[in-house]
Amino acid sequence: MKHHFLDQYSDRASCLHSLDPRVKILAFLSLVVVVVLTPLTHPHRFLLYALLLVALVLLSRVPPGFLLRRSAVVLPFVGLVAAGLPFLGGSGGSYNLGPFHVTRSALLIFVNVLLKAWFSVMAMGLLVSTTPFTRLLRGFQSLGLPALFTTLLSFMYRYLYLLTDEFERMAMARDSRAWRMGRLERMRITGNMVGAAFLRSYERGERVYLAMRARGFDGRIRVMRELRMGRSDALFLSLFFPLLLSAAVI
Amino acid sequence: MHLPDGFLTPAVWVPLWAIAAGALALSTWRVNRRLEDRHVPLLGVLAAFVFAVQMLNVPVAGGTSGHVVGGVLISVFVGPLAAFLVMGSILAVQALFFQDGGITTLGANMVNMGLIGTFLGYWLYRLVSDALRGGRGRLAGAGVAGWVTIVLASVACSLELAASGTSPLGVALPAMVGYHMVIGVVEAVVTAAVIGFVSGARPDLLELPKL
Repeated sequence: MKHHFLDQYSDRASCLHSLDPRVKILAFLSLVVVVVLTPLTHPHRFLLYALLLVALVLLSRVPPGFLLRRSAVVLPFVGLVAAGLPFLGGSGGSYNLGPFHVTRSALLIFVNVLLKAWFSVMAMGLLVSTTPFTRLLRGFQSLGLPALFTTLLSFMYRYLYLLTDEFERMAMARDSRAWRMGRLERMRITGNMVGAAFLRSYERGERVYLAMRARGFDGRIRVMRELRMGRSDALFLSLFFPLLLSAAVI
Repeated sequence: MHLPDGFLTPAVWVPLWAIAAGALALSTWRVNRRLEDRHVPLLGVLAAFVFAVQMLNVPVAGGTSGHVVGGVLISVFVGPLAAFLVMGSILAVQALFFQDGGITTLGANMVNMGLIGTFLGYWLYRLVSDALRGGRGRLAGAGVAGWVTIVLASVACSLELAASGTSPLGVALPAMVGYHMVIGVVEAVVTAAVIGFVSGARPDLLELPKL
């Protein structure tokens, strides 16, 4: 079966793709934190962040439509906040939207949440679309994430698609044998499927360990090439952080 | 229930990040000390398993459908600390790679869907299954723990939104909790069914060393 891999587009070539993963992790996480900490009383800062993001998207050569479609994941929460707006108090005049009155401060809260969530999602989407999963993990590890996590996560990544395929085959088998089921019956059958998949996963985990052990695994993952910062990384850092910080204080 | 960035104020997300990071550090330390290297591949495969399970949508009622979160399920097999590592890793990958949940709000999401499901869920499961004893007790414990942790996670989520001034409690609480009281049924039935299935097929897996 075909999957949209976690890090789609991360194998393309661009100057953003070729940067050291640690540089990108630091840059994009700082971008998110700075955006989240910026108060909405300075709207022009958000314009500058948007320009910075647009520049990064253009540099990365990741299709903007792809990033925009992905950013739709924040919509359910935006809807929840929108539903609560008429009930938020506050001052500064109010607007009539159909039968509801929304105060100016409530509207500001909504814009605040929408912009911050959207910019952050775009930034993280860009990070993973320009960095393959394994390189990102190595970056996190050399930034101090315990090896336990990186090992756990690399196993997870390795087996995720295999198990997803297994579930899809099981669901297909179930649907071709029983196409009409009550809700509880369906949940029970799902439980059995999940149970069977759990056993298979567990036994696979044991087999994988034994196979690795047989090949000399001692709990440590060795890599062929160490990460190395280059001139382009220094250039990116010396451009990105002054731009971000000046956008955040102007 | 994955809170995106920007929905919580720093006064809310910073302490929750501290709690989540503390729990992760404790779990890492204990798991590193108690488990041999053989368990790391196992935890990784289990993380992939929970990730895949979360993609299975089950229709509940009136057009709504829900999926299993899996915190209680994993903690029943490997114990709350190792289970929290698994859930925390999944939430981190969802935030990084699917933008499902934010970076600044990752701590809050780990508390809501990780800590509550694994620590509290495991405790509830033990409480109920010890009180009732036997296979029936296990199933009831899994069901109760599954439903309660989902509902409590949605309560925590609405409290965090309200404390941040993003959504008033009067709107967020009934909307979130009402929805998750329905969705929680999936967690309860599927968790209990898996435990029932495994105790029939490989009962030894329920007796694994727990952390």
